[in-house]
Amino acid sequence: MEQDEKQFETVIDKMAELKDTSELMIDLAYSSLLLNSRELAEEVHALENRMDDLHTEFELLVLTRCITPEQSRDFLGLIRLALVAENIADAAAQIADVVLRGLKPHPVLRLAIREAEETVMRVPISKSSVLVGKSLQEAQVHEETGMWVLAVRRGDTWLKPKPDVVVAEGDILIAAGYAGGQEDLKQLASGKPA
Amino acid sequence: MGTMDKIQYRPIPVRDLLVEMKDMSELMIDLAYSSALFNSRELAEEVLELEKCVDSLAYLLDMSAMIAVRNPSDAESLVGVSVVASAINKISDAAGDISAIVLRGIGIHPLVRKVFEKVEERLTRVEVKPDSILVGRRRGDLKLASRIGTNIIAIRRGRDWIINPKEDEMLQKGDILIARGAPLGIEELRQVAEGILKSWRNRRGARRKAV
Repeated sequence: MEQDEKQFETVIDKMAELKDTSELMIDLAYSSLLLNSRELAEEVHALENRMDDLHTEFELLVLTRCITPEQSRDFLGLIRLALVAENIADAAAQIADVVLRGLKPHPVLRLAIREAEETVMRVPISKSSVLVGKSLQEAQVHEETGMWVLAVRRGDTWLKPKPDVVVAEGDILIAAGYAGGQEDLKQLASGKPA
Repeated sequence: MGTMDKIQYRPIPVRDLLVEMKDMSELMIDLAYSSALFNSRELAEEVLELEKCVDSLAYLLDMSAMIAVRNPSDAESLVGVSVVASAINKISDAAGDISAIVLRGIGIHPLVRKVFEKVEERLTRVEVKPDSILVGRRRGDLKLASRIGTNIIAIRRGRDWIINPKEDEMLQKGDILIARGAPLGIEELRQVAEGILKSWRNRRGARRKAV
């Protein structure tokens, strides 16, 4: 029974990852429009591929479990939730497409995405950065720069910004915050003095 | 299948329509996940109400965009707006699908709540009854955040929605408040809104951390 519960938790963890990723994609997609940034729009597309993989893994996990008739409704609910996350991810990709298609964002779009003073940026971590080898908890990025780390991209994988994630050379941090913190974060990430 | 509203063109700026659609879609996602986690039909039904609004707004937006186009360069610049609006509509449909899980009684395993509940915050829906002390008060004057650790994130007044209401928004009887906050604060807001409590309990934020 306990074993069963453990297995079930891995299914739910996957589900949570799908949900978190889809929401991150929406944030990034709006930001790509706001900044007319191909870079961010491309991240949204990279995440969409990640979503497809995650969704497949999730479905396989569900399918390989022996589900009793009494459990079937609970699992159907999960399957539907995952589908919703997938649809949200598609919508995010559609928003990012406007940028990738080279359409100049209409001013109305920028006005509608109101938090104009809040921006999202992606910063690569260089070898000489003071952040390399530090966990996010030790790095104190928010305290130092006012920017929040939304996600860490490492090669093809995406990490949630948990406190124990150790920053490595070549990581790309996706961070949000007020424009003033951008320069500070760039300095931390590049290792170059001000 | 409910009845659908007849759509008639009204001159509303595209920008306003888009802002409203975006705000509504974001509220819907929050509400929908909450309805699923707490198996709340009430919240799920509010999501469906919002979905109808977003559908209607999408029509109005398309019409306004069509009228605004005079030449190819207008078309190139406005097609992006229309693509984004349709993406927002998709997001709102997705939220509607979540609420359908609840309304059709499919259910979600109770263990899911453990993983999804990152914070001790909940969303709720409360109705302002005629004899509530909230009637006629401005949202900002209530100081809900410091008093009970909750925040009114939307108001439904009949069929109108006010998303992220301003400080000077006056609460009226019959308003449906969508509020976010810690469970205890939410419960106090419900009792005050329903007229059960005639004054706030005097403990400004003192028990905010209690479970």
